[in-house]
Amino acid sequence: MSQPALYERLVFKNASVYHYLKIYLILDNDDRKINAVYFKQMIISALRDLYGEIGAAFPFDVLKFEEDTLTAVLRVYNSGLVKLWTALTLLGSYQSEPCAVHVTQVSPFLLALSGNSRELELD
Amino acid sequence: MFTNLEKCPRNLLVCEKSSLLNDKSRHATHVAKHFFNYKVSVLIPECGITPSGLKSVFNSFSKYYLLRNLPVYKLLEEEFLEKVVKKGSLYALSYKTRIDQDNTFALLPSGQVILSVDKDTYEELGLEGKASQYNHRQPMRYVVTLDMTDKSLAPGGKRYKRVMWALQEKVQLTSDFLMARYSIGGNGEDLLQSIFSQYSCRELRPSMSTQSLRDLLCPSLDPTDLHGDSRSCDPLQFLEWLGAVTMDMSCNNEASSFVSTYCCPEPQSSASQALLCTAVGLLLPEDIHSLLEELRRYFDEPRFTSWLSVTVHGFADSPVSWGATEHGFHKGGENFYTFVLFKNQDYWLHMATGTNDGCPP
Amino acid sequence: MVRYKSRYLLCELCVSDQSSLQLLDERAVFAAVRGAVSSAHGDYGSALCSASFAVKYLNAHTGVVFLRCRKSHYRVLWSALPFITSVESRGQRVPCFFNCLHIGGTIRTCQKFLIRYNTQQLHRMLRLCHSEAERLEVRKAVLSCSLKSLEKEEEAEDGYGDEEV
Repeated sequence: MSQPALYERLVFKNASVYHYLKIYLILDNDDRKINAVYFKQMIISALRDLYGEIGAAFPFDVLKFEEDTLTAVLRVYNSGLVKLWTALTLLGSYQSEPCAVHVTQVSPFLLALSGNSRELELD
Repeated sequence: MFTNLEKCPRNLLVCEKSSLLNDKSRHATHVAKHFFNYKVSVLIPECGITPSGLKSVFNSFSKYYLLRNLPVYKLLEEEFLEKVVKKGSLYALSYKTRIDQDNTFALLPSGQVILSVDKDTYEELGLEGKASQYNHRQPMRYVVTLDMTDKSLAPGGKRYKRVMWALQEKVQLTSDFLMARYSIGGNGEDLLQSIFSQYSCRELRPSMSTQSLRDLLCPSLDPTDLHGDSRSCDPLQFLEWLGAVTMDMSCNNEASSFVSTYCCPEPQSSASQALLCTAVGLLLPEDIHSLLEELRRYFDEPRFTSWLSVTVHGFADSPVSWGATEHGFHKGGENFYTFVLFKNQDYWLHMATGTNDGCPP
Repeated sequence: MVRYKSRYLLCELCVSDQSSLQLLDERAVFAAVRGAVSSAHGDYGSALCSASFAVKYLNAHTGVVFLRCRKSHYRVLWSALPFITSVESRGQRVPCFFNCLHIGGTIRTCQKFLIRYNTQQLHRMLRLCHSEAERLEVRKAVLSCSLKSLEKEEEAEDGYGDEEV
């Protein structure tokens, strides 16, 4: 077998170009179904309302969307994080029905979203 | 255009490469110093059924206790100190308290009690402490560290009496606590229950779950190429992929899709199956260490995969992350580390923290 | 004494038909710019911009417009200007575009720039004259059209620039 690996240490500061958000959508009308494409379109139009054509022109991804629980994981470049977050906060209606978006967790590491200790329920 | 909207708080990622065979390898201290672990997940590519060794390690994880409305001074009482704390390996963390808004308490195995309290409580308490490192202009949070192994805080002494008086009579700080004690024999647990018999105390076991993943794309890793220059992907991409797999996201290469443009990093290979085991609860560093030792032995037999990974998430609301480094929440309070173990006993260790946190050791 | 600092954008309204400039008023320009900012930068941008935003001056003959906004956010306004393709005024749509000539901190510096700019333009145009007679005619026209209300100094400057040709 080859020699044991030499010790090496790397430190990355602010190396992550993305931020990840875990959010869920609260719809006033529970019967309404919405899929990932409509969901993304809804966020894009919320962004456009708040920041206009120029301000909203940045890419983001819906990494995961669960239609039954209406939870989603978004990925956005660092430069767009504040814009996306504020647009989500001010998102108030979907197809003229009241709705709200709850941001559960935000992290520069996607892996961190898989373990949220605030969700630990022991009762 | 709006430059003030484009700023982001800092985050840190420390990557280490070494070998488990290396005498100076610090992996054991890194594990032991990360006191409060919330979740551990093990990912083994090309593995269909849970190896029996892994299963037994998971089952031997220490029990932990949920104590309701425990006054903080109980942690400092002489009997408790003598019988439990001085013996070491006791971990206690307040439960359902948020470090960015509530008072949070922790008892470290080194015998230190850390009270992270807001300004009002701090002023009422009248104990000596430091302003939190992560205050914004006006200090709104203070950290009081009581080292119970210190001679000046010995029971009966002047300082000890003052601390007890502050916590008993000035402000009755109470909280729900998660508590665990590592003991090889296993009789340490009854002791905890007997001491806190007058409080509601529930015994809990870390909850396990196993998941089989089918047909996924895995990045190829080469133990010598930590930086990700050519033979493996860079650490951030790897962590992103690991997150995507753990959260069951699709990594199908559809870079032109409207919804998501995420795809598995290059170079990649496909795996027909993978095993994902997770445990959630208050997990002790000692147990994590024995899990690592068990996984080391996984490569004793010939395997299809050349690597496996272990991810350990810390509590976002714990007042410390590694050692006694102060930890805050800011946006996510993330503190976690990932081991990638290779066939030839080399390992990579990725340690990540968010904004209000010191640099990992 | 602390004061809010402003930026003045000196723009030129370019229209295909000069006479349609007469239709424009300050309110119409204000509405058009507001609309452009709102569509390019959304609610956030137009809110940033609306603080102390004003059309300070509009010359219906030459199409010169002075826009005022806060110094910290003038880029928001500036970047929205190219997206204006028409101004709606008195029920009519006037196709036009904004040509931003200068950005200054005070009206005075903008005015100085405008005078210099106009002189340059005059020099450039005089070169197009075919004969000396034409040139003299232009000179006579320039001198005769100076308004009485104009300051002496400005008149002198104009005249001086002209003579130099």
